[in-house]
Amino acid sequence: MPYDAMTDRADEELLAAYATGDASAARALTQRLGPRVFAHAYRMLGGDRAEAEDVAQEALLRLWRAAPEWRMGEAKVTTWLYRVTANLCIDRMRKRRSGPDLDAVPEIADDAPSAAAELQQAARAEALQRALNQLPDRQRQAVVLRHIEGLSNPEIAQIMDIGPRAVESLTARGKKALEALLAGRRAELGYEDDD
Amino acid sequence: MPNWGMKTMTDPKTPSNASPGRDIPAAFDDVDLDVFFAAARETAPDPAPDFMARLTQEALAEMPVAPARAPAAVPGLWAQVRQAIGGWPGLAGLAAACAAGVWIGVSPPTGLDALWGTSVALESLDPIGSFGLALMEG
Repeated sequence: MPYDAMTDRADEELLAAYATGDASAARALTQRLGPRVFAHAYRMLGGDRAEAEDVAQEALLRLWRAAPEWRMGEAKVTTWLYRVTANLCIDRMRKRRSGPDLDAVPEIADDAPSAAAELQQAARAEALQRALNQLPDRQRQAVVLRHIEGLSNPEIAQIMDIGPRAVESLTARGKKALEALLAGRRAELGYEDDD
Repeated sequence: MPNWGMKTMTDPKTPSNASPGRDIPAAFDDVDLDVFFAAARETAPDPAPDFMARLTQEALAEMPVAPARAPAAVPGLWAQVRQAIGGWPGLAGLAAACAAGVWIGVSPPTGLDALWGTSVALESLDPIGSFGLALMEG
């Protein structure tokens, strides 16, 4: 069954159907949530694809196991999932001795057959990811959730278990640090050699 | 070399259209972060298809078993008879009653003779026997 046919059904509704053994709900939820969880883990983990896959798999596994006891109306599935994903990522990052592996960010291949605009977007995304990797975990989490995932401050507050003002503070400090890092990268790369 | 999303004096909002070699930013810390965030959103990392297939498989494997929704099979004749009698308990009672009837017929208790008298007396319970009816009809 194509998962598009379920777009009018809320995540919570699909999860309830999943808990009753509805295979189409299982497929729809996986297609809907899998890429989001993976992308969030990828960004939190500094662009490490293999680790992001492990985290996404573990986060979804926990969701499937929580499904039978899920209480409708208490929590949004995405809020719960972002929280679990971020916690798994932070656990992994803490286990690393020296923070995210900067080399894990894939380099942009200059000879890729992409259009120039696509290449430029990819280069910007890569530069941002490298800058994000240098932020403290909580700042990175808040900035990614707010400015890339597009979540609201109250929802981020729920995910991070802090107040909305603390979210604002984290994102503001994170953005300031990013500006400095990207400006530094700009200075390091320079435009003088362009053309 | 791509334009990195720095605000410039000539084209602060559309750095991608600017000629990168010519535009020197007003200040290095004047970075348009929105350009970078937009780029990150547009180039969201796609999960590999085989990874998505694995996720789907795991979701199905972890899914609670659906309650049986298939209609119950139509019971056979013997099962229907048994059900009509009252199930196994009813059947057991019937069997016991049959056994008791056979036992009484083969070896009637002595107490019954006193109650019903002789076998002749028993025949008197049937005022018109089948043999008598045959005679009357000629």
